[in-house]
Amino acid sequence: MSAIHLAGTARAGDLELDVELSVATGETVALLGPNGAGKTSLLRVLTGLLPLTGGHLDLSGRATDAPGQGVFVESHRRSIGWVPQDRLLFPHLTVRQNVGFSPHSTPELVEHLIGSLDLTSLADKLPTACSGGQAQRVAVARALAAEPQVLLLDEPSTALDIDSQHLIADLLRGGDERATLLVTHDPVEAATTADRIVILENGHVTHSGSPVEVRTRPRTRYAASLAGLNTIAAVATGRTATTADGTIVVLGEPATGPVHLVVPPVAVALHHSVPDGSPRNVWEATVTELQPAFDRVRVVLDGPLPIVAEVTPAAVDVLGLVPGAGIWAAVKATEITVHPA
Amino acid sequence: MRAPRPVLAVAAIAIAYVALPVLGLLQRMPWSSMGDLLARESITRPLLLSLLVSGIAALVVVILGTPLAWTLARVEIPGRRIIRALVLLPMVLPPVVGGTALLFALGRRGLVGQWLDRWFGLTLPFTTAGAVVAAVFVALPFYVIAVEGALESGSDELEQMAGTLGAEPMRVLRRITLPRLLPAMGAGMALAWARALGEFGATITFAGNLPGRTQTLPLATFLALESDTEEALALSLVMLIVSLAVLIPMRDRWLPGRRPER
Repeated sequence: MSAIHLAGTARAGDLELDVELSVATGETVALLGPNGAGKTSLLRVLTGLLPLTGGHLDLSGRATDAPGQGVFVESHRRSIGWVPQDRLLFPHLTVRQNVGFSPHSTPELVEHLIGSLDLTSLADKLPTACSGGQAQRVAVARALAAEPQVLLLDEPSTALDIDSQHLIADLLRGGDERATLLVTHDPVEAATTADRIVILENGHVTHSGSPVEVRTRPRTRYAASLAGLNTIAAVATGRTATTADGTIVVLGEPATGPVHLVVPPVAVALHHSVPDGSPRNVWEATVTELQPAFDRVRVVLDGPLPIVAEVTPAAVDVLGLVPGAGIWAAVKATEITVHPA
Repeated sequence: MRAPRPVLAVAAIAIAYVALPVLGLLQRMPWSSMGDLLARESITRPLLLSLLVSGIAALVVVILGTPLAWTLARVEIPGRRIIRALVLLPMVLPPVVGGTALLFALGRRGLVGQWLDRWFGLTLPFTTAGAVVAAVFVALPFYVIAVEGALESGSDELEQMAGTLGAEPMRVLRRITLPRLLPAMGAGMALAWARALGEFGATITFAGNLPGRTQTLPLATFLALESDTEEALALSLVMLIVSLAVLIPMRDRWLPGRRPER
């Protein structure tokens, strides 16, 4: 079932939002877009803080905002959990009182969330005692304590330490009964946490698709710039990581456990023959597709590592890149960044 | 920061301006007979009455003024500027004019007073309740100004946040708005109480000057000044002590300019 179904318009200052968006229960969608594209305004539409000017919004199958029919359900009657960018913790309440603020929360769930987000030592303190990462965890716990059917996260990882990112990512994974919409400007976060990416530009959805699809077929300059990154799931053991296909990748920094390896396409070097020198990861690949990406060409490769390289049009000629051509690909270990999965 | 000298000099003059009259009062105090004076009924009665009237007035001001300030700050009502000017009017109006206005509105033959009298047998002029009415009339704007200012300067983001968590508007008011407003409410209440304690003109016009019923400390002081200077001085000392006893502990916690950290 569609937890969020929106086809409507709204006005936020100078920006006219005109958005079609559906998010299914159990699905995590990342909303990506440049600054001022209307990402936060879209969340405000869903929370009920910004009413639609036209069209309709259904939440969990219930007509929630439809100005044409005079329907508007107030914020407190929507089952939403909102984690705003500036967190908005209640400064006069303790961490425990913040987490348990929602009338829908139960003491058991509140204690469980406080424990699993490692907030026990702060529970009786005021939010002023929290670091940025801790405050973010409190905000996430407070939203989850209401057991919302729709969870809205606005830039959840901004200024977060790695431990907080881990804790929050673990907690969000257990959300089969809710839909999660994650606003971010970080394509890595989008690719690693979302089932689907929606790109919002100037108030309109310009692309919607799986992370792979958005990466390999960017439709706008903005999408192309962020689609740039390859992400590969792997399990790390020290200086190496093994992908699902069994390919071993040498890392620049040691890591352990499930990870996402992020490789910028410009860091994928293509050669006629086995390259000399420092690259630690070298493999033979087949060109499957060439995509012009504005002033560059993206080369989609098949092989032990499905990956996209980005080269100049001149290099395409020199290397004789055509679909089906064999080529050597190389990535320096230091060009790979490791993100916890 | 080191203060510039001219600023310090002017500040010193301002302090002297406030302190000199107090010193003037203290140097004339009949300290030797003070014990006897303070035990007189002509002093204890106005004192108790003043505490009662100003205390009740402060409570009424909080009960009426909080929803009023909230409405003025947060609700789009037509003619809000005119309503606000009306609410603040008693601050500017000479209290005697205020008392006269109350008389024509709530007096025995007043606009509303005649019905109060006919239906409920309720007469306000020359009663302690009338003194409270006069005190509330002059003190209300001081409270509204303090609380409305705090509501306007704070954004309503936290209230919106609370709403998304499923809290009904009354719950948001109780758990978020009011607790965060407490410092401003305390400050406004202190100002309103001080104004009510010092109230003279509207009280004497509307409620009269009946010992034990409407003769508060300022009225008793003014009257004693004509007949018994020592008693007037003792009454002044009592007002001074009562005012300081309430204002000094409030200064740190509640008066404006010392907001607790967010």
